Amino acid sequence: MNLLQSDTRDRNKPPLTDSATITSVRDIRLSVCYSESPFLRECHMIHVQKLTKRYSPTKLAVDELSFSVTSGEVYGLLGPNGAGKTTTLRMLLGLLPPTSGDARIEEHSIMNAPVEIKRRIGLVSASAGLYQWLTPREVLEYFGWGYGLKPDVIRRRTEELTDVMQIGDYLDQRCATLSTGQTQRVNLARALIHDPPVVLLDEPTRGLDVLGAQVIFDYAARLRQDGKAIIVCTHKLEEAERLCDRFGLLHRGRLQQEGTIEELRAATGETSLVEMFLKMIGPVNPEERIA
Amino acid sequence: MTQTAEKPRRESESVSRQIFHLTRKELRETLRDRRTIITLLAMPLLLYPLLGLGFRYMAVLNARAETPQVLLAFESEDEALWTQDLLKTTDALRENSEVDDTTDPSLEFELFITEDGMSLSESLMEGYAELGIRVSMTEPITRSGPRGRSVELIQVAGSAISQRAADEMERRLAAINVITLSDIVKDTYPEFNLPVTRTFDTVEPVGKTSAILGLLPLVLLLMTVTGGVYPAIDLTAGERERNTLETLMALPVPHIRLLFAKYFAVITVTMLTGLMNLLAMSVTVYSLQLEGTLFGENGLTGLVLLKLFLVLVAFAVFFSAALLALTSSARSFKEAQAYLIPLLLLAIAPGFVILLPDWELTRMTAIVPIINVLMLARDLFQGTASPLLALAAVGTTLLYSSLFLFIAARIFGADAMLIGSRGQWRDLIDRPAEFARTPTAAAAGCLLAFLFPVYFVSSGLLQRMADASIAQRLTASALLTIALFVGIPLLFAIWRRLRVLTAFRIATPGLSVWPGVVLLGLTTWPCIFELVVLVESTGLQKLTEQNMDRIQALLDAWRQVPIWVVVVALGIVPGVCEEFFFRGFLFSGLRSRTNGLLTILGTAIAFGLFHVVLAGGAAPERLIPSTLMGLLLGWVSLRTGSMVTTAIMHGIHNSTLLIMAHKRDELANWTVTAAEQSHLPTTWIIASAVGIVVGTSWIWLTTRQPKT
Repeated sequence: MNLLQSDTRDRNKPPLTDSATITSVRDIRLSVCYSESPFLRECHMIHVQKLTKRYSPTKLAVDELSFSVTSGEVYGLLGPNGAGKTTTLRMLLGLLPPTSGDARIEEHSIMNAPVEIKRRIGLVSASAGLYQWLTPREVLEYFGWGYGLKPDVIRRRTEELTDVMQIGDYLDQRCATLSTGQTQRVNLARALIHDPPVVLLDEPTRGLDVLGAQVIFDYAARLRQDGKAIIVCTHKLEEAERLCDRFGLLHRGRLQQEGTIEELRAATGETSLVEMFLKMIGPVNPEERIA
Repeated sequence: MTQTAEKPRRESESVSRQIFHLTRKELRETLRDRRTIITLLAMPLLLYPLLGLGFRYMAVLNARAETPQVLLAFESEDEALWTQDLLKTTDALRENSEVDDTTDPSLEFELFITEDGMSLSESLMEGYAELGIRVSMTEPITRSGPRGRSVELIQVAGSAISQRAADEMERRLAAINVITLSDIVKDTYPEFNLPVTRTFDTVEPVGKTSAILGLLPLVLLLMTVTGGVYPAIDLTAGERERNTLETLMALPVPHIRLLFAKYFAVITVTMLTGLMNLLAMSVTVYSLQLEGTLFGENGLTGLVLLKLFLVLVAFAVFFSAALLALTSSARSFKEAQAYLIPLLLLAIAPGFVILLPDWELTRMTAIVPIINVLMLARDLFQGTASPLLALAAVGTTLLYSSLFLFIAARIFGADAMLIGSRGQWRDLIDRPAEFARTPTAAAAGCLLAFLFPVYFVSSGLLQRMADASIAQRLTASALLTIALFVGIPLLFAIWRRLRVLTAFRIATPGLSVWPGVVLLGLTTWPCIFELVVLVESTGLQKLTEQNMDRIQALLDAWRQVPIWVVVVALGIVPGVCEEFFFRGFLFSGLRSRTNGLLTILGTAIAFGLFHVVLAGGAAPERLIPSTLMGLLLGWVSLRTGSMVTTAIMHGIHNSTLLIMAHKRDELANWTVTAAEQSHLPTTWIIASAVGIVVGTSWIWLTTRQPKT
């Protein structure tokens, strides 16, 4: 099948499992969730429906994007620069109002309950900075208050995250003195201070060395085990393959293909995500490299 | 394990605690930054001692200036000795009260002989002396004074001290002459007295204080603002620059709450800066013993300081909000700084108003931002502040602060801030590839910004046509109006590929609205006229005699041409052309970006500001009436969906007003109105009000959307 000529609106529907191989209990759970039964729709922690963002009459960033992510699933939203990944995440967070369409986190719509949505999401962005004059402990405390946590909860969560993220050595050091990897770990801890059911990871391993990236992978695996719904945007496709359960390939704001790696291989005839991408976007434009 | 962020416990307690903790973070971040500390501590500690020393130096110079030493140049020693004798004689006469109190004892003279080969004029030109004296030496000096001497005084042109010295020498020479003649006459007639004697005295004007006292509030308040500038930028534009804005906006906290935390932090730093300034100023004044010189006999008391502190609070509340409103729309430090420079200049400019003697804190000035607080601070220094006006000044300042905060909350964290602006300047100038129905708000704003100075300069140039006939001037005025409000916008629209009919909102509404439009055009002017009179009576702006004379001359000049020429040139053409731009192009541009209310408001304010500009000057008394007229025109245009209706209404309004002005004397003869009276007859005003109510109701009824 030629991916570029495929009808993406049909493809936006969650794929049925009959063409995929069920390999684990979790896969069975996912396959049940993606069935069309309305009684099982509640499995979807994130449910995006025809989400569209138009910045100007000539600039369409996201075009009727639909996908769903269940609890305990890591969903990779992949695409070249300007594909609309970050815009999608910002709309999910309620930072940008969509032009049309809707998205629901649990039972809350981004259109009607932006505050409830924000309570349920943790955002980790590679570009996110930290407050240079504060210490990581103060950053965690600040965001804890921002999320409306009680002081004892903030303390407990800070201790937990300090252990998991291994940030104890510089917990009381000014953020301005931290390295890129240390900053990213603090950022991850900051995003998880309120223990959200949904985590959005935007290029989470950018700037990290192998060990640093491994911490992120390990924690993502733990989050998955805890039943979080995770969306990952990354340019490291080999990492995406390791990290994600399913993928949505985004190009020019439209979802071109979606499925597990096996489903994508079956659909495209390509073996790796890189090859699938190159096929999807056609001849490589110098200004439109894979992100 | 998932717990999600907790829902608020008790809402009010939760909100206040949350704001407290959010504010604490902002303060931590700000106060740990040494740049803030430098502004906060170092600047006042350095500035006020320096200002104090400067003031003391000025005071010493002033003291010297009060008893200046004047160098008198002579060509010979005999002349110098003669003059020295003259000075001693007149000093003795003054001490014995034998002459009128006309000499200036504060001047101290020093005499010197010019060097060989240098003339008196040359020594004065070179600056060696203030006054040259040449005396023709023929006879010795006696008690009765020098007789038959000719004294020539040579002064330096344009030099005040030289003039003062010459005046003093002239007075002394006159005194010698008078006393000599008096002595001679008394020898013959012992009862003789001079027919007129003069005495001089001086009094201090009420409320006169040191000139520097007027500057102190300005210095104090500007220094206070300086403290708030850096935190305001850092906590808003800085969030974006260091990429923390997105995570901040991802918090489940309303924007206004986040902004409140930032606002409290900026106020706190601003207040701390203000306190440091107040402290540094007080210590400087006290240690340099300047309190008496600056603040009079009561000095700088604790009560004055307390009142000043309260004014500083009001000022900090206002400026912190204004700073945040500006910096919230900036995407970087550089951009924020670019926005703040005009704000600081705007703050300084009215600051000098308080130095003008006629500007007092009145009902009107108490509501003018910045000026009201500066005047209040000055009055507090002088101990003349009125509690009611102080309350009005503080109250309105708090009101303006709320407005700024509201604006800041709307801007902070908005789309454009988060994702960055996609527009660039070239977009406003380049020719687009596709046709568009309406201009963008930015394009309309740019054209407005371009037209305003062009209009200002053109009006000035028109004023220079004083020698031209009235017909020529009227023609030029009409052509200029057409070129500015129709020609330029039309060319711009064509270049930008805008559909003229939609961009200028040229549409013909149904026939049913026209009676209302015509009625409004005919009946609005008496109310507008009364508004001008009302504005004048409040004291905001007085029509000077010069202005009145000019208006009268203009009215007389108009009578030289047929009335229809005046009506076309000054009534119909401006009415139609101004509507073409304001309710046409500008209206459609703003409407593409915002709602109807803000569009009406924006176009009305621009309309009002344009009417303040007059040929060769400004007419601030026209601002409020013209803006209100703009509101009415905007409303009619919005309801009817066209600028054609308002063009007709505006043209009728202008024409009616001009005809009434032209026929003013005839109306006075019919006792309809008296030319001397400033107010129109009450019946006219009532009829106008009724006309406005009926006209607006008519338009409202005929433009209602049928309910489906």
